[in-house]
Amino acid sequence: MNRLTATFAALGLFVSAEALVPMPQADAAEVVIGVPAWSSANVTAHVLKSLLKSEFDIDAVLEPGTNEEIFAAMDAGTEDIHPEVWLPNHASLNAEYVLRRKSVVMSPKGVPARQGICVTQATKDEHGIGSIKDLTDPAKAKIFDTDGNGKGEVWIGDPEWSSTRVEEIRAKSYGYDRTMELLQAPEEIAVTAIDAAIAGDKPLVFYCYEPHHTFELHDIVFLDEPAYDPRKWTVLMPEDDPGWLEKSDAPVAWPPSFFHINYSSKLAGERPDVSAFLEAVRLDVDTVSEMTYALIVERRDPDEFAAEWISENADRVAAWRDAAKK
Amino acid sequence: MSTWHRWCDRLTGGVTSVFRSRTGRFALAGLVFAAGSATALNVNTQIYNPETRKWEDYSPNTAIRYFRTHGQTPQAFQRRIVSFRTAEKPGTIVIDGDKHFLYFVLPNFQAVRYGIGVGREGFGWAGIVNIGRKQEWPTWTPPAEMVARDPKAAQYANGMPGGPDNPLGPRALYLYEGNRDSIYRIHGTTEPWSIGLNVSSGCIRLNNDDIIDLYERVDIGAKVIVLMQGAALYKGV
Repeated sequence: MNRLTATFAALGLFVSAEALVPMPQADAAEVVIGVPAWSSANVTAHVLKSLLKSEFDIDAVLEPGTNEEIFAAMDAGTEDIHPEVWLPNHASLNAEYVLRRKSVVMSPKGVPARQGICVTQATKDEHGIGSIKDLTDPAKAKIFDTDGNGKGEVWIGDPEWSSTRVEEIRAKSYGYDRTMELLQAPEEIAVTAIDAAIAGDKPLVFYCYEPHHTFELHDIVFLDEPAYDPRKWTVLMPEDDPGWLEKSDAPVAWPPSFFHINYSSKLAGERPDVSAFLEAVRLDVDTVSEMTYALIVERRDPDEFAAEWISENADRVAAWRDAAKK
Repeated sequence: MSTWHRWCDRLTGGVTSVFRSRTGRFALAGLVFAAGSATALNVNTQIYNPETRKWEDYSPNTAIRYFRTHGQTPQAFQRRIVSFRTAEKPGTIVIDGDKHFLYFVLPNFQAVRYGIGVGREGFGWAGIVNIGRKQEWPTWTPPAEMVARDPKAAQYANGMPGGPDNPLGPRALYLYEGNRDSIYRIHGTTEPWSIGLNVSSGCIRLNNDDIIDLYERVDIGAKVIVLMQGAALYKGV
């Protein structure tokens, strides 16, 4: 499929990594975990730091940075781990460092992520909106109309995101760009609109992705769509072609996305026990959503939370430990 | 007693129509809506009446009648503590212009919910602002074009002092974008029947009891999330 450049990774930013990550001096012998600026990656970084302590007595250091910075640092040997590399979003970094230079290794098991269009459970139950095709029905689309112009409104994402361009394409492809108004706004506003819709018991439809704490906070569900089909997915981005929207067509669900722990070849060479353990770590979307919930909604201290999670999931961690030794 | 048609204290103006009542404020309200209805959309505000178990049109006339009978706005717009699940921290304000509610976030997934009156056109925007300052018995300054047209307004060109006839009511909260005054306000009212309706131009009004209550709770710098995009008139509560 066509590349989705970068900014999908900027989703979910409520707390800057800098605010949560201490900045001690890095020792050459320490393990350094790069921390990109979105909440699920931040929480995973803290959990990995706690695991390295409990399993190997390593005092890992957390270093905030962009994806590009972290990959370059792993290549240079100054950082060791990236907790959450998304494919297909970060495919170009993967191609350069994992496939071409081989200075970075991708843990093979990814966590399946998902994105699409969601409604509140109450919207589905009370108004019968369960499928994306419902949005092309003017009578159903009107349920989401709040300004009396006959067209419902749907938030499709932050104006800067690549995924928002894809959602414009999907709206055009399915046809609900004619029955609905496509709204673009920062995620913080859209998430609060969900809070208000739930509290006020009113229907709402919106772009959504998991893992995300909103799935833990509220009852929301994905709308049904035809399964992803690469033959039907023609997605051009504005940087590819000025006629990107007219030339694109994608009336199907998003392709499956995955995110993976990545680590440097240097770490694999110096500490094969650690890299084997990283390859054995198995997170899942529910776990990551719960973890993000703890950080964002409950405002838990990330180190405290990570330590607690590890002790509460001792069996799971033990299974990873056993798998690493095989 | 004369009262002023409600408008937002905006430097750029906006709705500048002013009607002076000779017979009292409810007559004033009728006048306001006779003028406004020509341009209004055909969607009527409705409110659920738990007594009749029906959706009823909640127009300014029914609002006035209700207020006269009961001395307060319908139940839905009474201040109350409600369930409010959110990632926003306590002390945050969320304004749902569509439903005419303002939520003040409390701990434990609760909020104080207030009924509000909003501008006829809505804000037309959704955004994140903050409480830059707050004022008891605030001064109100009519926009320049109102001063030019209406001698009654002209006498207050340099500001009408706070008091019972002041359109801002007993308290005002000033919304800032960063450090810059956005010109939008949350304030009280001299038209309590108007809570739950779009009758003013831009600002957010609460009942005087409610604005005093909110004023005591809110801190300077509090985050205010405004969800007004697309909101004009609404159906249902």
